[in-house]
Amino acid sequence: MKVIEIRNVEKIYNDSEVKVHAVNGVDLSFDEGEFAAIVGPSGSGKTTLLNMLGGLDTPTKGEIFIGGTNISTLKGSKLIDFRLHNIGFVFQSYNLIPVLTARENTEFVMQMQGVSKKLRDVRVEELLTAVGLGDRFESRPSRLSGGQQQRVAVARALASKPKFIHADEPTANLDSKSTENLLDIMEQLNREEKITFIFSTHDARVVKKAHRVISLEDGKILKDEVRK
Amino acid sequence: MILSLGWKNIWRNKTRSLVVIIAVMLGIFGGVMASGIMQGWIEQRIHTSIYNEIAHVQIHDSAYMENEELKNIIKDYNQVEGVLDTMKGVTAWSPRVKLMTMAEIPTNGAIGGLILRGVDPEKEKKVCEIYRNIVAGDFLEERPGVPSIVLGSKAAETFKLVNYQITPSKLKAINPDDFPDEVIGKVEKGTQDNFENKRDFEKELRHILSKDEYDEYATKLMKYFAYYELGKKMYISLPSKGDNELISGNFAVKVNGIYDTDNDMWDGMNAYVDRQAMNKITGLTDTEVHEIGIITPDRETGVNVAKNLGKYLPGYHIMSWREASPEIAMYTDFSAVMAYIYVAIILLALAFGIINTMMMAVLERIKELGMLMAIGMNKKRVFGMIMTESVLLTLTGAIFGMVFSGIILGILGRTGLNFEMFSEGFEAMGYASLIYPKVSVLDYLITTLLVIITAVISAIWPARKALKLNPVEALRTE
Ligand SMILES: Nc1ncnc2c1ncn2[C@@H]1O[C@H](COP(=O)(O)OP(=O)(O)O)[C@@H](O)[C@H]1O
Ligand SMILES: [Mg+2]
Repeated sequence: MKVIEIRNVEKIYNDSEVKVHAVNGVDLSFDEGEFAAIVGPSGSGKTTLLNMLGGLDTPTKGEIFIGGTNISTLKGSKLIDFRLHNIGFVFQSYNLIPVLTARENTEFVMQMQGVSKKLRDVRVEELLTAVGLGDRFESRPSRLSGGQQQRVAVARALASKPKFIHADEPTANLDSKSTENLLDIMEQLNREEKITFIFSTHDARVVKKAHRVISLEDGKILKDEVRK
Repeated sequence: MILSLGWKNIWRNKTRSLVVIIAVMLGIFGGVMASGIMQGWIEQRIHTSIYNEIAHVQIHDSAYMENEELKNIIKDYNQVEGVLDTMKGVTAWSPRVKLMTMAEIPTNGAIGGLILRGVDPEKEKKVCEIYRNIVAGDFLEERPGVPSIVLGSKAAETFKLVNYQITPSKLKAINPDDFPDEVIGKVEKGTQDNFENKRDFEKELRHILSKDEYDEYATKLMKYFAYYELGKKMYISLPSKGDNELISGNFAVKVNGIYDTDNDMWDGMNAYVDRQAMNKITGLTDTEVHEIGIITPDRETGVNVAKNLGKYLPGYHIMSWREASPEIAMYTDFSAVMAYIYVAIILLALAFGIINTMMMAVLERIKELGMLMAIGMNKKRVFGMIMTESVLLTLTGAIFGMVFSGIILGILGRTGLNFEMFSEGFEAMGYASLIYPKVSVLDYLITTLLVIITAVISAIWPARKALKLNPVEALRTE
């Protein structure tokens, strides 16, 4: 079953003097459980494409289906609610809530979803242990390293049981050891939870780990290869 | 979730939040104090006025209101008595003969006008608290011989019955809490021990005390060392019942009591004598009076009783304290208006503070707000979060402010707040110089409510700013 289907999507930025064709006629689909990387040089349109996939931005043309829903037609609070229940986000600069602990950060999305306290506790325990932070439940982000913070972010993204995880350059701020560690954890969760990961990167070491690599240039797909 | 997150968010910038909390606290404290003092002041003024002067309700004959003459008595005293004795809400009442008179003390040549009030002492004591404000002698206690008159302290000055004596026994009896040792020392070492009148003593005090000491203690010292000369004979010209109200008789009385209230004007004019003694000269009978003062359990009842009496006693002029002293009624309303204005100013300042603070709180969290919206926090929740922060922040300050004001007002409500340095000016206007601030539970509740409403309204603008954010752009900011 296709988790994501993108049909002939274009994004044109009009706000400056010159029109920028950031994404230019992309057709793509992802199966459940994929572990895919979108690669390409800076400015090739990775972020723009991912943001449209994640319901953060709307395409100028074309349609995007996630789990069968055409999100290109969703607007306002419907779109926010769709993101809450269907997409997990990992950002480049971690973006945890600084006043909440690792546990509370992980729990937060589930609270918004209205998940019961009992279920939340079980899931938080499970996820934070899985990302190797079993002993840092009560630490606030400022007490954690960048790699640890990003692992909390991965746990948070998974907590809501989304259809896929959206991660725009998740390792860009990490050193190579943390990068490897994070990717191992992501891969393991992908395997165990059968959850789809789509991440962007321009780091060759990260590309190496991906099961599928989609190369982007000037807003167009150059290559789409499955490796494992 | 929103509540605890809001609370935690407040403490991200501790200094800023503390500044706001303290500002709110001081604002509330100031507001509560100001309105407390104002209300306490007015309350005392009204109390003094009602229980010393005008009572809750007054009955006169309509003719007396036109012309305060001897003949304009209450026409059917027995009817009025019957109604008053059965009417609900009437706690006590006292009949009075009331006349404008001239008085003279032949031995010292003093002459002055007096409003002479012929009262039944026991009944009057239930309606009027003047008997509690006696500073020398007594209030119309029975004595054989010449009947007694009770004068106010100001009238005692007019009739040259006050002198000032700094005696060793008085110096010894001074309560050290009332005057500092230096002041007492200066008074003790003064140029002389006896002063014929107020002006001389005032001059002496101005001379020996520093300006600040004078401002603070002169009035109190003059009261303390005042010596009232009792037993002096006074002659009062009274009209008597007849065809023409010519001055008919000299009413001989002895000054056997001096009272002192907060109202100098009242003290200067009003004198009390026994009604029966007065009737012997005027020829009025026991059931011929000009005025009946009525006391009711509270002010509200007073207004109602006046209304009811109007129905049962149509021919008479009946007025509640509101009509008897429109000035007092006006002060009551005025104090409410002043309190509102003060509160409005404080709330306005508060609003600016909150808008500023919450705006900063939003602007420095743009990226985080973008993230929250990206991961699925809807507009309602974002709005709620900013509101919660604003309300919690303000409410914290408000609660501290209330507790603080509550404690201070609790203490001051018992000890009173001393405005003695302005005492002379205050008492000339009829105000007490020792004020017991008063704030009702309702005032606290209303203040809290207003503060919360202000917090909510002021947070709308910053919250809208947050709602307008585009998550993608917000996430891109550093
Ligand atoms: N909000 C925007 N307004 C105008 N141009 C934009 C905007 N966002 C991205 N672009 C342009 O679109 C192109 C693709 O950008 P982006 O998707 O961020 O690429 P990448 O993530 O691969 O670096 C770039 O040329 C960039 O300058
Ligand atoms: Mg990018």
